[in-house]
Amino acid sequence: MRLSATPGWVCNDCRRSFASSVRAQQQQQPASSQHVRQDEKTTHFGFDTVAENLKASRVAAVFSSVASNYDTMNDLMSLGIHRLWKDHFVRSLNPGIRPTASAQPQGQKILDIAGGTGDIAFRMLDHATNINRDTQTSVIVSDINPEMLGEGRKRFSTSPYQAAGRVSFMEANAEQLDQVESSSIDLYTVAFGIRNFTHKQKALEEAFRVLKPGGVFACLEFAPNLNNLLMNAVYKRWSFGAIPLIGQIVAADRDSYQYLVESIEKFPSQQEFAGMIRQAGFLLPGQGPEDEGVKAGWEDLTMGIAAIHKGVKPA
Amino acid sequence: MALRNVLRTPASIRPLLLQPPRVLYHSYEHDIPPPYRDAESAILSSAIAHVPALGFTQETLTLGAKDAGYLDISTNLFPKGAFELVKYHLVTQRLALKDRIQFPGEQTGVGRKVRSLVLERLRANADADVVRRWQEALALMSLAENIPASLRELSALSDEIWFLAGDVSVDTSWYTKRASLSGIYAATEVYQTTDQSTDFRDTELFLDRRLEDLRVVGGAVGNTLQWVGFQGGALVNLMRSKGVRI
Repeated sequence: MRLSATPGWVCNDCRRSFASSVRAQQQQQPASSQHVRQDEKTTHFGFDTVAENLKASRVAAVFSSVASNYDTMNDLMSLGIHRLWKDHFVRSLNPGIRPTASAQPQGQKILDIAGGTGDIAFRMLDHATNINRDTQTSVIVSDINPEMLGEGRKRFSTSPYQAAGRVSFMEANAEQLDQVESSSIDLYTVAFGIRNFTHKQKALEEAFRVLKPGGVFACLEFAPNLNNLLMNAVYKRWSFGAIPLIGQIVAADRDSYQYLVESIEKFPSQQEFAGMIRQAGFLLPGQGPEDEGVKAGWEDLTMGIAAIHKGVKPA
Repeated sequence: MALRNVLRTPASIRPLLLQPPRVLYHSYEHDIPPPYRDAESAILSSAIAHVPALGFTQETLTLGAKDAGYLDISTNLFPKGAFELVKYHLVTQRLALKDRIQFPGEQTGVGRKVRSLVLERLRANADADVVRRWQEALALMSLAENIPASLRELSALSDEIWFLAGDVSVDTSWYTKRASLSGIYAATEVYQTTDQSTDFRDTELFLDRRLEDLRVVGGAVGNTLQWVGFQGGALVNLMRSKGVRI
């Protein structure tokens, strides 16, 4: 990420400074952000290495700057396919409890992490209400970034779910969900968010804590490499060539989209990530009992550009 | 278990590294590990109890999950949905076959044992009361994404029946026997779903006819090949007697 570009340059056409969001954050932390002390633990921020305690604020800066046109950018980058992925994600989870003659409807509690703009939460509530005729299921939309959460609140403000009290918003760090009780959530989802977390294993352990026994952890995330080598080369060309360019042209923010493609590259492979989920204590669907290696537990989408990982908390 | 990992551990605790091997054959020394994990087998066994009433559907799975003390959402443990219920029935009935029927003496021939085992397996379908829902199961098994798993189960069942009947063949007949039994079993099972007679007597007769066909056709093919072989040999000898160098 080219943060060392000339800070004083202002684009006359769009009247925005190049890397303005990052510069504002740099002014707040002038000295420490540039130098990483020897004894501090480091993590990756795209292809850069940063101190662990700074990653969250750098990510916050990226998402604050993309919040307002997040959906447009997603449409341009994935050519609209992200809508199909999210639809399939929600349908395969099948949230909502079918009402039966005998049972009293209780509704499920869904926690959508890093779901600021409410894409997934909306789809979950629609599916539960329209397909499973469940009017009790509720969603807690959580995000670490208040701007993204603001976008979500806007979207839900005119929906019937807001009026019925079936959606609530919570600003929280997924690695420390103190506001959520243990064993209180039926379904924990995180779509395109977990690659931004500083400590993924901690977030997985928090997910394990808040889920009820039998609850499901579901994660929709990009995968670093495709299965087919030729398609992978084409995909990488598109990722690193076109996406930051689109970001520059449409949103005047090349750096955020450069971070995005770099963070995808740094994300663990499907097998590694499924191993991390298993390590947190979840059962992976499709995994046999005698298997030592991780062979199942995820579903590739669009040749492996994205993958859905699921885990069930044992009862 | 990599060699490097083995050599790194102190010699005294190396025996602890030994894990029960995943055997691909019938082993007399090692017990086979259970086919399903605890959570899965709890949910699926509760769900199977509801199959006669509700069929092989997602609803049955959800009801099974609730009965086993899990949540509705826990059915995400089964990515293939209702087909996993079908597969559970197939796997558990196949593994239970050796406990359902034994052959204490050595009198009965292999053929008779095969017949008894096939009938016992079909009786297991009746005991679990899935026969009137079995056509749903067949439909699920015939979906493109499920065909490989279904064929694998069918061949595993055929192998299990031949093994329990005491088959000790070591030539290509090992393969032909299992292939033909797979076909016969599949046909008989489909017939059973339409059988209305008492105690499935018509299915027994159907099975007998299929086994008879196999015997007759197998004998005819064998005899024909033998005849062709003799004719070929005779032709070669005739030509040699005329001076052709072959």
